Amino acid sequence: MNKETIEMLARRAGLQKALAEFPDDVAAAARQADDVASKIKPVDPRAEPWPPMQAGKGQ
Amino acid sequence: MSDLHWLSVAKIADSIAAKELSPVELMQALLARVDKLDPRLNAFIKVDGDQALAAAQAAETEIMAGRSRGPLHGVPVGIKDIIDVAGLPTTCHSKVLETNMATDTAVCVSKLRGAGAIVMGKLSTHEFAIGGPSFDLPWPPARNPWNPDHHPGGSSSGSGSGVAAGLFPMALGTDTGGSVRNPASCCGIVGLKPTYGLVSRRGVFPLSFTLDHVGPMTRTVTDNALMLETIAGHDPLDPGSAPSAAGHYASALERGVKGLRIGFVRHFHEIDTPATPEVTAALQHVARTLQMAGADVRDVVLPTLGEFGAVNRVILQSEAWSIHSKWLRERPGDYGRYGRLRLMAGAFMSSGDYVLAQRRRREMIAAVEEAFRDVDILLCASSMDPACRIDDTPEVERTYPRQARTPFNTTGHPALAMMSGLSSGGLPLSVQFVGRYFDEATIFQVARAWELASGSDRKHPPIG
Repeated sequence: MNKETIEMLARRAGLQKALAEFPDDVAAAARQADDVASKIKPVDPRAEPWPPMQAGKGQ
Repeated sequence: MSDLHWLSVAKIADSIAAKELSPVELMQALLARVDKLDPRLNAFIKVDGDQALAAAQAAETEIMAGRSRGPLHGVPVGIKDIIDVAGLPTTCHSKVLETNMATDTAVCVSKLRGAGAIVMGKLSTHEFAIGGPSFDLPWPPARNPWNPDHHPGGSSSGSGSGVAAGLFPMALGTDTGGSVRNPASCCGIVGLKPTYGLVSRRGVFPLSFTLDHVGPMTRTVTDNALMLETIAGHDPLDPGSAPSAAGHYASALERGVKGLRIGFVRHFHEIDTPATPEVTAALQHVARTLQMAGADVRDVVLPTLGEFGAVNRVILQSEAWSIHSKWLRERPGDYGRYGRLRLMAGAFMSSGDYVLAQRRRREMIAAVEEAFRDVDILLCASSMDPACRIDDTPEVERTYPRQARTPFNTTGHPALAMMSGLSSGGLPLSVQFVGRYFDEATIFQVARAWELASGSDRKHPPIG
């Protein structure tokens, strides 16, 4: 993830103040997110997420 | 009675009920030990000494009058400082909530009090249960009683440190990516992450709604079972609460392991994240000991630790961002660096990442359930290393993810960590036992067999 992308995503998330005061932390957080998300294998296209929606059981 | 600080929960409860031990004398002894040791250990954020002594006095009066509140009457307990106790601060070890006072009491604490337990105070944690051993927060990080230069694990750091040091015989921790079992592993005590939904989370500051668990931390397996019996049970006002009653977890403790089928997940520590040789040797010794005691130990293969960790992290950080986004936007400087960095990562996860992780999670649950068709319990590593020095930041960051705990937050299976031995440097090593959903009783049964064989409950840190 390059610097421009990180800054764009940070602004979109409302992190302008963090970007101004802690730019290194913002960049590290973005790279960590990018790295960890890329490690998840593709799933069976029919696999549903956990937990399932169960009508009538929520409050 | 000597060495009151090393008495187990079971022994304290029995002795108080038999009028052989004064709850006031016990509390005075523990508070004196806190005064002496906590300046080195930083286990407490807030010691509630006056209230604890008053409650001990009330317990003594009730017991002498023949009235028992329950199985933990007069037993002191420490509470991780993300769990509410009305009238005490809930700071989450953060400047963000530095002046926050709880107005209600968490269900798990109410249940302990209902059984007669006495709250001694609020305990150190990693910031919002996710940061790390930070020196840029309003309170210092807790330290490891086996060697105060070393990390006690986290995020339930004060709970682990204080139980191991004999400041209190039991504590509540929380576990979203391993935060009960990490300090249990680093400090050589017993820490259980129960089945997801078995213990109410109401009144606990959330980190990640679908991964958060509350768990007991004690010095013995029996004590852990007793504590779980008290705090488990359905809570209709916790949306994640399971519709199940608490079990009788202590009833099967002494049954041994003969005939039990134990699945050894070797690839976690041999291939996925290679453990230090001492950890590997200790795990091998646990497996061999249980086999000699009559268990059928066989290898089991699960998804890799790397992928379990990624799924856990994407879910955790996405859910945590939804909780912390307002504060991180408005006052990022009020977080410590570790907390800020880890909580902000969720801002960079996409909705697709989150849903993909939740879909992969279902497949991982199915893989673990499949393994339980052939075995009764899983045995695997907890930490891949003994605790490192707390001030060695690169080593803290290197070793922190070297663990096998997150898989069972992701799947919700119950998992217990305890001591497997001591390193050549005199620090605890650890093992983890994992059970079927709501089968904590079998975990305790196996853990007790290992405790009896190893004498882990009689090993205390050389402090005080």
